[in-house]
Amino acid sequence: MLREVAVSNRIRELQCILQLLFYLPDKLPLAGDYGTKDYTLTAKSSDLCAEVEEREMKRDLEKVRNIGISAHIDSGKTTLTERILYYTQRIHAIHEVRGKDGVGATMDSMELEKERGITIQSAATFCNWKGHDINIIDTPGHVDFTVEVERALRVLDGAILILCSVGGVQSQSITVDRQMTRYNVPRIAFINKCDRTGANPYRVTQQLRDKLNLNAVMLQIPIGLENDMEGVVDLVTMKAVYFDGEQGDKVRYEEIPDHLKDEAEEKREELLDAVSMFSDELMEAMLEEQEIPEEMIHAAIRKGTLSLELAPVMLGSAYKNKGVQPLLDAVNAYLPCPLDVENIALDLDNDEAEVKVSNDPNDKLVALAFKLEDGRYGQLTYIRTYQGVIRKGDTIVNTRTGKKLKVGRLVRLHADEMEEIEEAGSGDIVALFGVDCASGDTFCGEGLNWSMSSMHVPAPVISLAIRPVDNKAQGNMSKALNRFTKEDPTFKTYVDHETNETIISGMGELHLEVYIERMKREYNAEVEIGAPQVAYRETITNRAEFNYTHKKQTGGSGQFGRVGGYMEPLEEGEYEFVDEIVGGVIPREYIPSCDKGFQASMKKGTLIGAPITGVRIVINDGSFHAVDSSDMAFQQAAKGAFREGYAKASPVIMEPIMKVAVEGPSEFQGAVMGSLNQRRGMIVGTFEEGNYTVVEAEMPLSEMFGYSTTLRSLTQGKAEFTMEFSSYKQVPKSVADDLIKAYQAEKSEG
Amino acid sequence: MGYEPLVNQNPLRVLNLGRGNKQLGLVMARAGLGKTALLVQIALDSILRGNRVIHVSIGESIDKTRAWYDDILQFILQDHSVSRPHELIDMVARHRMIMTFKEDAFSRPRLEERLNDLILQDIFRPNCLVVDGFDFESADRATVEDIKEFLESMSLQAWFSATRHRNDDRISPAGVPAPCHEVDDLFDTVILLKPEKDATIELEIIRNNGVDADTEAGAGLKLDPSTMMIKEG
Repeated sequence: MLREVAVSNRIRELQCILQLLFYLPDKLPLAGDYGTKDYTLTAKSSDLCAEVEEREMKRDLEKVRNIGISAHIDSGKTTLTERILYYTQRIHAIHEVRGKDGVGATMDSMELEKERGITIQSAATFCNWKGHDINIIDTPGHVDFTVEVERALRVLDGAILILCSVGGVQSQSITVDRQMTRYNVPRIAFINKCDRTGANPYRVTQQLRDKLNLNAVMLQIPIGLENDMEGVVDLVTMKAVYFDGEQGDKVRYEEIPDHLKDEAEEKREELLDAVSMFSDELMEAMLEEQEIPEEMIHAAIRKGTLSLELAPVMLGSAYKNKGVQPLLDAVNAYLPCPLDVENIALDLDNDEAEVKVSNDPNDKLVALAFKLEDGRYGQLTYIRTYQGVIRKGDTIVNTRTGKKLKVGRLVRLHADEMEEIEEAGSGDIVALFGVDCASGDTFCGEGLNWSMSSMHVPAPVISLAIRPVDNKAQGNMSKALNRFTKEDPTFKTYVDHETNETIISGMGELHLEVYIERMKREYNAEVEIGAPQVAYRETITNRAEFNYTHKKQTGGSGQFGRVGGYMEPLEEGEYEFVDEIVGGVIPREYIPSCDKGFQASMKKGTLIGAPITGVRIVINDGSFHAVDSSDMAFQQAAKGAFREGYAKASPVIMEPIMKVAVEGPSEFQGAVMGSLNQRRGMIVGTFEEGNYTVVEAEMPLSEMFGYSTTLRSLTQGKAEFTMEFSSYKQVPKSVADDLIKAYQAEKSEG
Repeated sequence: MGYEPLVNQNPLRVLNLGRGNKQLGLVMARAGLGKTALLVQIALDSILRGNRVIHVSIGESIDKTRAWYDDILQFILQDHSVSRPHELIDMVARHRMIMTFKEDAFSRPRLEERLNDLILQDIFRPNCLVVDGFDFESADRATVEDIKEFLESMSLQAWFSATRHRNDDRISPAGVPAPCHEVDDLFDTVILLKPEKDATIELEIIRNNGVDADTEAGAGLKLDPSTMMIKEG
């Protein structure tokens, strides 16, 4: 044992020396000065060894941060991530997002993202800041990918919410923030781009209060804004912080400039007032007008942040390398470690009873696969561990399939590059190689059968027919679709048996567009696409009775079954089957047959062939024949009964209604409202502030195709909109008539 | 519309809200006593009569304003049996529009422009306007007169809310307290919300459709502080 340790130490030292040799060329002392060189070598190798050892020892949970960076598109999320990685020495050069140098920022690993300057996939990356291990999940910024965002939020313990100091709280920030609230994610706000013309962090802070209902408190004030931005004043330490050097890596603390002293005092008062709510000690110290120790303020801010009752606000400009290091300090100081967050799993052996995961590395493993990615070296599965330790060579169980699997390679990720590791402790975010699973699956140690609570996955609202252009594309397309459906639970695909077309469906136009692009780029699958189709549904609006007899006598054994009862609208839920049969008029064994027959009828409505939802079926009468009744006969009888009842129950067509927010300069408000109104929209409300306005509306999805183009031309490209699914609503009669006509025509043609 | 029973049972019927257009009303109270709740109930009453209402909210968000309607509708649905609650909720949503302004973004020209946008494009033709959060303290008489004149020209019924301050004792001859004591004659109906000893809130109707009421006559209406619903006392 001792010998093993000695050998592994030796190996580690050799590794360190090898690592060091990499650095040697530019660090080599003057030729001939061997003494110095020798000295450098020893010092460096022991330093490095110590650093590696220290890092391993300190992987205790209190020093782990799993954070997300969430923001409105273009508020500089990727740039900030890039700077964080640079300052934590994970990368050694800074690239800009839109790749002036042709390389692109490190987090945007997909080509498509690089081209559009947006982040779609939430790659996880690891870094270390002042002894804390930080896993960063880069979350997508567009609302069409909210499942990606929500899935990422699920594995986060805390987040940085980036806001643009000019644009402020935009509709996307509102959506993302709402999601964070839903998943109880504590957050720090970072007001970025303070160097831009029109920057006003005070206004943005006020917006955080007004629009997001956050108890936003500034921990810093800017030293100059726009072009004159030099740094920030830290209101906790009451020091001015400057960022020197070409890349801002040298942080210099100075006295607060005279002209800012009064403002700093005033804002510090505000800060202390706000955080004193979370610390009796601090409150007392304030009342007694004592000197308040920094630690006490930090502790109070942390407490407020963790309880989600306080949102600390930090400032800077990632692009100009200002304010990033203090933000990292704040991540360490205020955001939760895995121990601060309560996570619940479902015990599959115990009727899905809720159990708290322990975070204890000595317990059996519980880990959630939250993201799949097709990398250069095969499938990569990102996992978050909630308790136990995952080691190379361990056997783990996928609790969804019950399959056992062996942990092959285990890696820690830094966007496109990766580091092999031997084990990962509780609370960590790492990736597995070559594991067959779907995202959302839970892995457990042998003997444990838990599942991390299922995530809320909305049903797709839009679909599209795709056709491969040639045979080669056909094969690639199926490969791609197979991958995408595993990666993204809101992306679905099936073959329409009537038209023989492959249909893909998802959460919005852009959502599907991105997958079509990815098919082309990553899988070389060129496809032709049909017009987008809205996922309509049918439902009933009245109670209707049915009493149907299925009877067939065509030689051999006959079929007989009678089903009587009624159907009525179901306010919540899709389908309910109630058995009120008494006296055995339908024998017990045929009740499930009836249920099956009704369910089969729900798949396709008679109005436009859309699936039927929201029906309660009650059966209370029937009859059978001792010889001729069978499972099949009762299924047929139920189908007939459904047809009979459905026709009388005033069926209607339902369409997906989207919550749309359009924001832009006030001068276009009238035009925007007009355009929404023309598209059968219902304007819910408007909000005006200065020259900026938001129009909120509920819009039928079918009317939103191509709206981005309309909006651009209507507002000279100055307005933008976000859209998310809200609910299903009845289609107006005139539209329904057209839909029915079109369906009838299609049917008679086909 | 089929909602007559709801309208007829509404305790607010003493205010004769259905009497016609051009009526200008004012609800006054200290902060937190239920001005918004009362305005929302007035708006809902108007919607149930088949009118369209614009709810102007100054300094409040769309979501919060909508939450008021949702809550109060829920209370109405709890107290009265309505055969198809979803249709009622839907009808209310279609007959209401919320316009929110940041404090300094609200002005008569801005309001006029917005209403014209809506009416000329036939997006929404309001019959009634409720304005919550208008700052009477910094508005002079001319401003209020100007707004009144505009609302009259549009044939709109309108209701305003105003916040009283604890330390301000100024009062108009008709009994309307500051900050509206100098403009109270511009309003046809003025209601004051007053907290009572038994923790309920009484509606004192100072003026009802242009008739100055003696304080006792208008009494009998209370606002239940737990639900913020108006009820007959």
